[in-house]
Amino acid sequence: MRLFLSGLRKLVRRQATWVTFGLLAGLLVLIVVAVGATANRPGASSAERAATLSLVTFPGAYDVILSFILGLGGLFAVIYGAAVAGSEWTFGTLKNAVARGESRSRYTLLSFASIAVVIAVGLVAAFAIGLVAALVGATLAGVSTSGLTDAATLSRLPQQFARGWLAIIEEGALGFAIATLARSQLAGIGAGIGLYFGETFAGIFLPDIVKYLPFNVATASVATGTATGGGFGGGARIASVDANTAIVLVGLWLIGALVVAALFTERAEISG
Amino acid sequence: MTGMDGLALATRGLRKSYGSQVALAGLDLSVPKGTVYGFLGPNGAGKTTTMRLLTGLIHPDSGSIELLGRPFGRRDRHRLFGVGALIESPAFYPFLSGRQNLRELAATGAPTAPGRIEELLDLTGLRDRAGDKVSTYSLGMKQRLGIAAALLSDPALLLLDEPANGLDPAGMVAMRETLRHLAANGKTVFVSSHLLGEMQQMADIVGIIAAGRLVREGPIQQLLNSEGTVRVRVAPDEVARATATLRTLGGQEGVMSTVAEPDWISVRVTSDRVGEVNRTLAEAGIWATGLESGNDLEMLFLGLTGGEPVQGGEGTFFGMAGAGPGRGPAGTGSGA
Ligand SMILES: Nc1ncnc2c1ncn2[C@@H]1O[C@H](COP(=O)(O)OP(=O)(O)OP(=O)(O)O)[C@@H](O)[C@H]1O
Ligand SMILES: [Mg+2]
Repeated sequence: MRLFLSGLRKLVRRQATWVTFGLLAGLLVLIVVAVGATANRPGASSAERAATLSLVTFPGAYDVILSFILGLGGLFAVIYGAAVAGSEWTFGTLKNAVARGESRSRYTLLSFASIAVVIAVGLVAAFAIGLVAALVGATLAGVSTSGLTDAATLSRLPQQFARGWLAIIEEGALGFAIATLARSQLAGIGAGIGLYFGETFAGIFLPDIVKYLPFNVATASVATGTATGGGFGGGARIASVDANTAIVLVGLWLIGALVVAALFTERAEISG
Repeated sequence: MTGMDGLALATRGLRKSYGSQVALAGLDLSVPKGTVYGFLGPNGAGKTTTMRLLTGLIHPDSGSIELLGRPFGRRDRHRLFGVGALIESPAFYPFLSGRQNLRELAATGAPTAPGRIEELLDLTGLRDRAGDKVSTYSLGMKQRLGIAAALLSDPALLLLDEPANGLDPAGMVAMRETLRHLAANGKTVFVSSHLLGEMQQMADIVGIIAAGRLVREGPIQQLLNSEGTVRVRVAPDEVARATATLRTLGGQEGVMSTVAEPDWISVRVTSDRVGEVNRTLAEAGIWATGLESGNDLEMLFLGLTGGEPVQGGEGTFFGMAGAGPGRGPAGTGSGA
């Protein structure tokens, strides 16, 4: 427990945590408010205007905010996971813990557990900020906010959040594992980003294989049918597995990534 | 292992290679409890490698380790709860303060007593800067924090890899006193260093390592006595005759002079024989113009680790043991 709490404290004091969150929330606010402010500009066709306004019209706005967070959040999670895991090697702080007799795999897994918690808090907070921004956007655009309390949408939210969180931490775990294998923060972040976009790119040529790969299943697992499902950062839409199969695969990738990270750390020669 | 009672740390036949680079070629250390043990060796001799092995950061290719009287293998990480270590350069989270770093470190491994962190910040003279980020610390401040980190769980065995790195004179004195104090209270301190003078003032026992092997180990006074050197200065035109004469005392290998100081002749005899050296020369009609007994650690060290070009030609100190081509794992100082 003290190790887990220590992991949380370290993350809270880490600049990367606040930069990542600030970027996510900031972009969300910027886009939603800008949409609201410009929707009624003169010269827009009514079709254009309807499309724009739908972004800030509840209950649809819930899905917009969520898919934005989950889409961009996936890429951010890869980078964040890699930054945290890689820094243990780059700073040499893993060495300290091991030399004090700490279990290597326990240290690794608890470090990830604290990342998962921070991501959960970050998602909820970004969502709340996005919500406020959408309300501001709706007011600016003069759209009614009566859909805010739409019961059907609200009842779906917890489950969407749970799925979204799982998908995001799976992507974070991937970055975490990659940086562990690379034993370096910078190399881990670079390789993580490369893999993220590489997978999207490969999907153009090998859709039947790529649809089972980690970033695609993460996207597929949060697709709700009505929502745009990870349209941001996801690039071209390719064939994907259905949402329920996807969530199982997300779980498998998550466990796989953590097992790799823990095993590698357990066996590594720490001689840097 | 037998006969290891009273040892805080022992290794037998410890071997370790990094790829084809042999770092340790069968290291046997015996570190008695309650002593300050100075672990000396030139660059690349294997000191840091030994420290890494002792803390489970890396694993030996063969050989065994005993920590605090019990075997230490892959599955014995709990043995490290009694060990504190500073290995190579100290490592910290730059975005945390010194105090926060110690606090998060205390969340790993052995439990730490409440109040211990403040105590250590005082001891290492960091109290005033303890709230600042480590990224703003000077080299010596990081080193002090590293020493504090090693002492965090009040370890019975302290492993310090060149702890004097970057310390100012006051810091060195403070560290020396701290380590002596710990040993006086029954703790064991295993400290590697290049600073021979520092070791001479601080260590009870020294082990000298060269090219991955222990070439000497014993109480420092005993080593100095047995490995003393007497240096005499004679007129330049009498160096050759004096050298030949002194070989009756020091043997063929034990008498030499260096290019840097051609008129100084070193004779490898214990320092209490300085009068005898002088008399031998006088009887040959040669008058020494200078005479000193140089039984310091430096002479011993250079002799054992191949620092003297004359001594067996195993490379020089400045050439770094183990760095040259064709040096096999068995390459050790010739004084062994
Ligand atoms: N991570 C590594 N990978 C490959 N070789 C290494 C590694 N670490 C050390 N070595 C080699 O092992 C040998 C012993 O190195 P070690 O760091 O133990 O020496 P040292 O006695 O601590 O030297 P120094 O006084 O310079 O700190 C050297 O030849 C070195 O090049
Ligand atoms: Mg070293």
